[in-house]
Amino acid sequence: MASEWKNFEPVLIPDIANLRNIDVYLDNGGYEALKAVLGSEWTPSSVIGEVKAANIRGRGGAGFNAGLKWSFMPEPDGKPRYLACNGDESEPGTFKDRKLFEFNPHLFIEGALIAAYAMQCTTIYLYIRGEYIDWIHMMDRALQQAYDKGFIGENILGSDFSVDFYTHSGAGAYICGEETSMLESLEGKRGYPRVKPPFPAQNGLWGRPTTINNIETLANVPLVINKGADWFTSIGARNHPGSILYGISGQVNRPGVYELPSGVPILDLIHEVAGGVRNGKKLKAVIPGGSSTPVLRGDKLEGVTMDSDSLREAGSMLGTAGLVVMDEDTDMVDVLWRIAHFYHHESCGQCTPCREGTGWLEKVLLKIKNGEGEIRDLDLLLDVTTQMEGRTICALADAAAWPVRHTINRFRDEFEARCKRSTFATA
Amino acid sequence: MPEVYIDGERYEFEGKPKLLQFILDQGLEVPYFCYHPSMSIPANCRQCMVKVGQPVRDRETGEFELDENGDRVIRWFPKLQTSCSIDVTDGMVVKTQESDELVRRAQKDNLEFILINHPLDCPICDQAGECPLQIQTYKYGPEGSRFEVKKVHKPKRVQLGPRVVLDAERCINCTRCTRFVDEVSKTHQLTITKRGDSNYPITAPGETFDDPYSLNTVDLCPVGALTSADFRFRARVWEMNQTPSIDITNGKGCNIDLWTRDNLVLRITPRHNPHVNDWWMPDKGREANRLFNENRISRPSVKIDGESQVKSSWNNAIETFVEHIESVKPEEILLIGSPHASVEENYLLTKLGNLMGWGTPHFTPHLNEGSGDGFLITDDQAPNTQGIRLLGLSENDNDQLAKRISDSGISCVIILNDALIDRNVLTEDLFDDTCLIYFGTNENKTSQSADLVFPITCVAEHAASYVNVDGRIQRSFPAKETKYSNRRLNLEMSEGRLDRYGTKFDNWVTEDNKVDCLPAWDLFALIGMRMGLDIEYEMGGREVMDEIGRKVPSFEGVSYEQMDDESGIALNIDSKKVKSKN
Ligand SMILES: Cc1cc2nc3c(=O)[nH]c(=O)nc-3n(C[C@H](O)[C@H](O)[C@H](O)COP(=O)(O)O)c2cc1C
Ligand code: SF4
Ligand code: SF4
Ligand code: FES
Repeated sequence: MASEWKNFEPVLIPDIANLRNIDVYLDNGGYEALKAVLGSEWTPSSVIGEVKAANIRGRGGAGFNAGLKWSFMPEPDGKPRYLACNGDESEPGTFKDRKLFEFNPHLFIEGALIAAYAMQCTTIYLYIRGEYIDWIHMMDRALQQAYDKGFIGENILGSDFSVDFYTHSGAGAYICGEETSMLESLEGKRGYPRVKPPFPAQNGLWGRPTTINNIETLANVPLVINKGADWFTSIGARNHPGSILYGISGQVNRPGVYELPSGVPILDLIHEVAGGVRNGKKLKAVIPGGSSTPVLRGDKLEGVTMDSDSLREAGSMLGTAGLVVMDEDTDMVDVLWRIAHFYHHESCGQCTPCREGTGWLEKVLLKIKNGEGEIRDLDLLLDVTTQMEGRTICALADAAAWPVRHTINRFRDEFEARCKRSTFATA
Repeated sequence: MPEVYIDGERYEFEGKPKLLQFILDQGLEVPYFCYHPSMSIPANCRQCMVKVGQPVRDRETGEFELDENGDRVIRWFPKLQTSCSIDVTDGMVVKTQESDELVRRAQKDNLEFILINHPLDCPICDQAGECPLQIQTYKYGPEGSRFEVKKVHKPKRVQLGPRVVLDAERCINCTRCTRFVDEVSKTHQLTITKRGDSNYPITAPGETFDDPYSLNTVDLCPVGALTSADFRFRARVWEMNQTPSIDITNGKGCNIDLWTRDNLVLRITPRHNPHVNDWWMPDKGREANRLFNENRISRPSVKIDGESQVKSSWNNAIETFVEHIESVKPEEILLIGSPHASVEENYLLTKLGNLMGWGTPHFTPHLNEGSGDGFLITDDQAPNTQGIRLLGLSENDNDQLAKRISDSGISCVIILNDALIDRNVLTEDLFDDTCLIYFGTNENKTSQSADLVFPITCVAEHAASYVNVDGRIQRSFPAKETKYSNRRLNLEMSEGRLDRYGTKFDNWVTEDNKVDCLPAWDLFALIGMRMGLDIEYEMGGREVMDEIGRKVPSFEGVSYEQMDDESGIALNIDSKKVKSKN
């Protein structure tokens, strides 16, 4: 992929002033995809087919082909069906959906409407974390504009497709970003993830067929309709096409959200896009895709690109493409403790390994951070991560375990240096 | 028939069972906490992990693929599965802790997790001895703990409601209690609060957990987090004897267990019967232990000079009975049976009446209209209204019965265990000139108004049958000794651990806890003998029921054996004649 990314023109957040205003959006070709889809050229299944062919991989973290997910919805039976848009954006290091809410809300709204049409949904819910109160208001305004123009509501643009669109505020729980937990929350219940199967397409909101997509995933949909799946798959990495909103934070000179094709070399992102490590320090480590993705050593980044295949090879994941950059002065023990603290604080507490394991991890890490740990505690931590992983209802336990395992394994010397010399030889 | 292989053994199955339930039904074991057969499946404790695979089939032919040894090629699920939540499917291959090291590890790891924040205060915990966490830990848990940091602290001794106390530190967050109030009692009074390892169940602020079924959560709770305010700290479970019985506080006849120590009923818990109460019972039924222990009529009493009652010997009481009877004409005697007494007792009263020419006993149902909830609480306040209808006792409205006594030249009324004055069916002044003879279990205004009182055994002291509102006949077992019964001689009485293994110092025997009373069959036999009748029942209630089964058509063929085998028997109740209201 080398340096082609340098010529890339953003499509999700193009540089157009006031794009969030529906009139500006319309002037720039907005809602054309929706109009097209509702016209005679498209059918719900042909929309699904096109999106599937585009291989828009879920931008919420799991990377599942959106069109394929839509195709799991059963045949309409005249009863309610739902699209739930996931704007919970709570994974530390992730702040990209907010960019869309603020700068191009109608692209997402249009995408959600097309998705709802393709799956014949009757209602769309937009779930946004409560901390984003200003952005919730922005979205409410944008939705009102779209209602006023007849893009949402009864018989949209004279077609027989009708859909309602509501925002719903979270109340400060990371776990409500997990899709089934979000459904519980939308139903007004405690945000406990559900046991799968049954999957939401069979048994979602109020027991009805439901599809959950991330905001950025949906924002790509109008582009695919307008320009075709072939155009989309030609961008970026073959296995994970399209552009990505990279959220870069940490010790870089120009933190922020940057839209670039997938597959950009991670070092280019840090050094060129984000202006390099602050104060000319050396790069020590980077978390590539939100706090749950395993940290990569700064000295092992040569040739690693931001797509699922390359990152898997490097021992991590693309996740939400939220990069956290750390310089040579960073205390990895401190970082890991802070991450563990987050997952401990956010475990819903439903299942045993996660409820108990996240707290145990944090407490032992705190002990090590305070210089009271012993080497055997490191092995205990690794054991605990094995005991948690793959044994819970949702992936939060995995998300809590991976950073611990990989940070210790990749920076073991630093952790050992913080431990007391134990007087006994212990296993 | 579809098949499943569990630890190498082949089993056939029907329908769509869940794997854990299927395993348990085969008499095999997998440890679990959150699963309950009558509630939804949250799969949150993660204890019931097993390894599951499916045989690989050839895409084209549909045949099983075989390996070089001719065995089916199995595709294992990449992760261990919770057996409670997974459906058994045809050809499935399952490995439990019996045959797989990884499964054993996972179960052990999970128990280690559960225990890290558990207070481990078994020595002072009511649940100890019947605690699934204790049992599973001994069987499948780790030997020690590697947890050397600080445990989470949570509220203790929280009075959730009038009857239930919470120790949040012991809670393992299985959500059985919250699911119960959501799905079974439907009061939604409990919810889990906070997150992660700070979780615990609680009511909404300012609300109290006064669910009429609240104590079921104490039974459901797999640890000692929820305890009964009444029972807590009163006994270790292994000190008690457990005896099956029937709830007599309303018409549903919930199946229960009586837990006794030293001849006191210390607690009552529901016993599973899918035909009646499933696993549940109303809280009110649990308070009946006081009826069995307190305020009992012990030794007969006779009234002297129409004034005060004094205790009397049995001989003297029987002589007094005969004197009263002989001083009036048979048609001046009115017998009143009782929906609160068993089929056997009412039958014997009827039989005595027939033999002596006193006529058929009357009765008044004990209803509290509107108090039923369509679930396990019935309008009917008595356990055997249907039973005495089927026996053919004569049914009266509340007013009718009083009129019968005042208007029709009645001089002597014999009441079988029914507090008719207390429940305002009769008044004390009816007995100013009329003799009242009372056969009863507990002191009340009615017994205190009587000229002669005979103490009889209560449901906790005898084997006897009751027909519930739906026409199901079910029976009790003797749980408490009386002055005249002996646990070691009565084969129907349960033998507790201490009876069997204790030293003489382990087994309390407080004479005062034994009531001086007789079962109706023994007492009526004594009275009958005195009056020249032969109504002896050497085998007690069992023999009475055999006779009823021969003589009363509605009870044809009914026997204790059949009731025991089938957890009660549905009798044919004529729905037109009998209003079976909840
Ligand atoms: C603990 C946890 C938190 C999550 N938080 C979010 C989130 O904040 N936003 C999001 O879009 N997806 C989140 N996800 C992923 C969702 O469950 C789901 O996969 C995603 O919304 C699906 O949309 P996509 O296929 O368009 O990516 C989370 C998953 C887990 C396990
Ligand atoms: S893994 Fe953690 S967050 Fe997910 S359901 Fe279980 S306890 Fe809740
Ligand atoms: S109190 Fe008992 S029943 Fe309720 S969640 Fe805790 S352990 Fe389970
Ligand atoms: S019994 Fe299966 S997870 Fe609790």
